[in-house]
Amino acid sequence: MATSTYLSNPALTINAVNLSDQCTSATITSVSQAQNSSAFGSTDSFFVTGMTMHTFECELFMSYAASETYATLAALVGTQTTITISPTAAGLATPTATAPKFTLTNTYLESLPLINATLGELSSITLSFQGGTLTTATS
Amino acid sequence: MIKIISPRVGVPGEEFTPPEYTNLQALLDYGFVEDTGTKKSAKTTSDEPKD
Repeated sequence: MATSTYLSNPALTINAVNLSDQCTSATITSVSQAQNSSAFGSTDSFFVTGMTMHTFECELFMSYAASETYATLAALVGTQTTITISPTAAGLATPTATAPKFTLTNTYLESLPLINATLGELSSITLSFQGGTLTTATS
Repeated sequence: MIKIISPRVGVPGEEFTPPEYTNLQALLDYGFVEDTGTKKSAKTTSDEPKD
């Protein structure tokens, strides 16, 4: 049995707007793209780091009310913006070693589902931000 | 000065300091914040000579 676990309850901002109460899933991933450095004389594969490619994906309830999901995102399509996310709401305001704040700056939003509706279900959308510079704050 | 309107951005009425690389125009366009420095006075003056 795991000795330490974390019940998902992060807080996040998109373009400085706190959308935690509209968000049901969030994933921020740091990737250092692997470059194959294997050469003659070796039968094993070796890799070195290439460019970084950070991504942020989240699922949000859609709302067209003022200061809600659509208003936050409508003008961001095709632009770069800043994402912040922390495992806890407190960590978003005051990051610590056990509640770090991850900031992804200059990340690009390629598309925004304008309407994603299914009869009898709450409308939600999935966003995917690509690229940018990832920093981690612990204090 | 940029003032906060929506509590999603911060405390309404307080000054908003946009984090680095924030799309400020998007926040202004959709009413999350307002630029109080660009408001024009209702009173206008004219340089044209009076009759």
